[in-house]
Amino acid sequence: MNIQSRKRELFKEFAPRLETTSTVSKIYISFLIAIILVGIYAFYLQMSEGQIVTGMRDNVVWGIYEVNFILLVCISYSGAFISGILHFFHTPWKTAIARIVEIITVLSLLIGPIYILLCMGRLDRLHYLFMYPRIQSPITWDIIAIITDIVACFIYLYLTFIPDFAILRDHCEERDIPKWVKKMYKTLAIGYQDTKTQRDRLHKITRTMSAIIIVLAIVAYTVLAWIFSLTLQPGWNSTIFAPYFIVGGLFSGVAFIIVTMYLVRKFYKLEKYIRKMHFKVGGIILLILAMLYGYFTFTEYFSRWFSHKAIDTDLLDKLFTRYFWEFILANYVGILGPIGILFFKKLRTINWVTIASVIALVGIWINRYLIVIPTLETPYVPIQDTRVDYIFYAASWVEIALSFAGIAAFLLMFTLIGKLVPLVPMNYILDSHLETNKVKQKVNKEISE
Amino acid sequence: MKSNLYNHTFFISIIAALLLCTNGIAQQIDLSNYSMRFVFKTVKQADNSRLLEVSFIGFNDADRKDKLPVFGAEIQFLNVLNDEEIILGSSKTSKEGTAQLILLENQKYATDEQGYINLKARFNSTDALSIEEADIMVKDLHLDLNLSEIDSVKTVTLTAFTINSLGDKIPVSDLDVIINLNTMLSKMNINEGTIIDGTYTFEMTESFSGNTKGELTISSIIEENDEYGNIIQEKKVQWGTINKQVKFNDHSLWTKAAPIWMYVLLSILLLGVYINFIYTIVNLVKIKREGDNIKTEPKKNYTVY
Amino acid sequence: MKNKQIEEGATDRRKFLKLGLLTSFTAIASTSIITNLAAQEEETEKEATGEVMRLLTPDGKIVEVSASNINKYPEAFITPEESRKGIPDRKFVMVIDLAKCKNARKCVEGCQKGHNLDYHQEFMQIKLIQDNPLAEPYWFPKNCMHCDEPPCVKVCPTGATFKREDNIVLVDNERCIGCKFCVTSCPYSARIFNWEHKAKFDDKSQPYSPETNVPGATGTVMKCDFCPDLLRQGLLPHCAQSCPEGVIYFGDRNEDIVTNGAETVRFSELINKRGGYRHLEHLGTKPNVYYLPAVDKLYELEDGFDVNEEVKERYKNVPYVQELKKQGKI
Ligand code: SF4
Ligand code: SF4
Repeated sequence: MNIQSRKRELFKEFAPRLETTSTVSKIYISFLIAIILVGIYAFYLQMSEGQIVTGMRDNVVWGIYEVNFILLVCISYSGAFISGILHFFHTPWKTAIARIVEIITVLSLLIGPIYILLCMGRLDRLHYLFMYPRIQSPITWDIIAIITDIVACFIYLYLTFIPDFAILRDHCEERDIPKWVKKMYKTLAIGYQDTKTQRDRLHKITRTMSAIIIVLAIVAYTVLAWIFSLTLQPGWNSTIFAPYFIVGGLFSGVAFIIVTMYLVRKFYKLEKYIRKMHFKVGGIILLILAMLYGYFTFTEYFSRWFSHKAIDTDLLDKLFTRYFWEFILANYVGILGPIGILFFKKLRTINWVTIASVIALVGIWINRYLIVIPTLETPYVPIQDTRVDYIFYAASWVEIALSFAGIAAFLLMFTLIGKLVPLVPMNYILDSHLETNKVKQKVNKEISE
Repeated sequence: MKSNLYNHTFFISIIAALLLCTNGIAQQIDLSNYSMRFVFKTVKQADNSRLLEVSFIGFNDADRKDKLPVFGAEIQFLNVLNDEEIILGSSKTSKEGTAQLILLENQKYATDEQGYINLKARFNSTDALSIEEADIMVKDLHLDLNLSEIDSVKTVTLTAFTINSLGDKIPVSDLDVIINLNTMLSKMNINEGTIIDGTYTFEMTESFSGNTKGELTISSIIEENDEYGNIIQEKKVQWGTINKQVKFNDHSLWTKAAPIWMYVLLSILLLGVYINFIYTIVNLVKIKREGDNIKTEPKKNYTVY
Repeated sequence: MKNKQIEEGATDRRKFLKLGLLTSFTAIASTSIITNLAAQEEETEKEATGEVMRLLTPDGKIVEVSASNINKYPEAFITPEESRKGIPDRKFVMVIDLAKCKNARKCVEGCQKGHNLDYHQEFMQIKLIQDNPLAEPYWFPKNCMHCDEPPCVKVCPTGATFKREDNIVLVDNERCIGCKFCVTSCPYSARIFNWEHKAKFDDKSQPYSPETNVPGATGTVMKCDFCPDLLRQGLLPHCAQSCPEGVIYFGDRNEDIVTNGAETVRFSELINKRGGYRHLEHLGTKPNVYYLPAVDKLYELEDGFDVNEEVKERYKNVPYVQELKKQGKI
């Protein structure tokens, strides 16, 4: 098959559907925007009234913002990690999902840090972080790690996009696409003509970037875990926190990718490319990660329970009384549930794998909640206060609204990106196409010999 | 700091500094159940200046805890000899109801035949408050504090004398004296005794750390003596057993500067990563150049693969 | 014990002298023109919670001055830069004698007055601690420990909180970005956060210095500061000044002397003889607040419940208190 005609075919298939916007998607988009607007109002309230409108108080000074932050950033890191691995090891089935993973990586890395900013009392002094940096502070490390990671992810995402932009540029004339979009394709394709040197060069740098992204993800996970584990607080000060966060992060990341895959497959009619095989593999990876994650969770709580330090005991008591159901949900249902589903080969269907992933996601969110909040409610010096909100944390509507606004923003951006660029990388399909051709030729040659 | 202020005491004490005040409410009050207390004291201080202090406070007869310091009342300080009044200065009462005046060492006083200085403090009556007066008679006592090591025993020697009109030193007797160790926030009583025949000695057996230079500040105080009033004398001496100084490390986790290895590690990591970013971008530019070249060249048939 | 009595007797007689010496600084600043007080009265409303102090003017009027105006020493202003250095050649320590504490809460109130804090904002908190199930609980005044290995300072990303050469750990409200990492790092819960804007933060009548911690700012962290503004004048911190029982000793470790105002003792001797300890020593934070254990207590535990209802409520979860309530002792 001629490669040029294949390109044209692919273009026809994936070319973003800019021309049409259905009513359903219009309603959907306005719904998302409405949620975001509520979030913006909540944000305005928090800015004008101060953090008193949140549920955070002395003792519990970090609330669900911090939880969302960990979750999103972890998803992003694992997205980076996974797409790095997909690329670096030339995984055969990367084709269909690589782009989705990359977009998830970048989007959650853009939204995640917003939550840590929401946690800050003085947003107007953000630049002090750079004016008076102290490199002993884990927050400084985290900021460096996040910024570096954002840069790396953008570069990487762009690298994988270049050949697609070239195809889009070459073929967009055939369609009725707004001028600015055409122009954008042209600029972004930076004159990529798919010559051999260009191609090799691009492959080379994409490969090094993918390696760097894997390393960066590990570093970033670690630094994030250190924000907690370098303090003296019970439930945080743990040496296994960094690997625990890596495993937990990968777990949540894979689950998130599976859920997104499901949605994209459904709404973008990509059944041909995102197939059952992907969910199967995803399910197996999720199973392995769930077991690892369960293992870490068990060790973490078990050693605390066994050694029985006074302050750890207080914390565990709290977890098993006040947070009993949350604990069950996070650490039994949230881990054993997915394992139970994915363990059976028969259940590794598209729907079941997705269900397992949703359980895993909810579970890990609660798990993060249980890491952040009960610890802060259990200080070394007993609280002894009469104000209930100072003793126990309860998220206020502002925090909840902003959490949903984050999800809405994610979906909105994802939709918009899906409108501008193909969600399945055409160049990867071409690559695998070429590979098979090569193999075929080789086989033919061998046969003819 | 102390000595600095004392050098300008005369000026400073009469300059009224502004009080930063956000709110105040004035109201009329029935003063009949308050009795005013007007107390006048004098201290001869270590630099031989003399402090005059008046405390002017109204006390509620029914409730002794309810007191009203008189604020901003002008108090005149006078030196009286027979019927003659010499104005020494005046000062206004503070929020605590005290007014102070510091007279420097070279201040001349009029004394009576027995050598007494007659001091008077006066508050001139207003519509609401009646005139208040109080006086004190003191003799000018000279107190010398001598700190020396005699046979390697740290010895504090005090001599007390007055000077008569002929300029002769006349030793005094039967004066109770307290020896204190002055520290940053308080005075520690280390000895008490009585001056007899103009002297008192005391051997210091205990050792103290003193300040970081190993200096101790020893002071001697005669309190509310009927004849001499209050007299303070103090001196510094190198008797301290210096404590080991805890010096903080400049490169630790909590100082401004981090441990060196942190800088090194961080720079290596960041350099490594960002050099790679640059490398990638350079390569992208190369790709772009090539693409541009292709476009400008006449169209040829390319063999893509 | 005998020693102490002699001490106290002597200090009583000395009181005036000390007063004379110390107030000579303040008197200079506080002699002021009365009209100033009255002139501003309409401009600013009286703060509802602020305590007032009554003064008599020579023309027979009573002036009420908000107590927060006391303890302002503009002439002792220390810039944020200077306040990072500390008072030269000093290493401040505090000793809290738990055997004498009866939950009078005067230290809390004194501190709140001095730092212009609201009712619930406490740099000094009094906890009821029970070491083991058999031991009787004791009152435990707790402020910032001004640790020598301060976890809070380690984690601050901007250097807004810092440790100085004189042992004091301060917060610069103009530098703090409110990330609250220090709050989560402090094992002593010493830090409080300004969750909302308060009218008092707008008081710009004097330049801000981290040493006074006043007026504070929204979205930043505050905590006990050992009152360096008072120390510079040779005065004890607010809490030590206001304790009627002389529970809180304060002093310079280099001089090896601490005082509670009435009594001056050697720091090392006090710690040695009375078994002084530091709270949560095992965490390695190396606090600079020492405690003398609550042995041979001067007061019954019940005496400490002579406080307002709200404060009483705070301790209701301590099992021993429930017991006392059942017996009708409280
Ligand atoms: S007690 Fe807390 S706030 Fe104070 S220095 Fe120690 S860690 Fe920091
Ligand atoms: S809240 Fe302020 S003082 Fe505390 S760590 Fe953050 S910037 Fe530093």
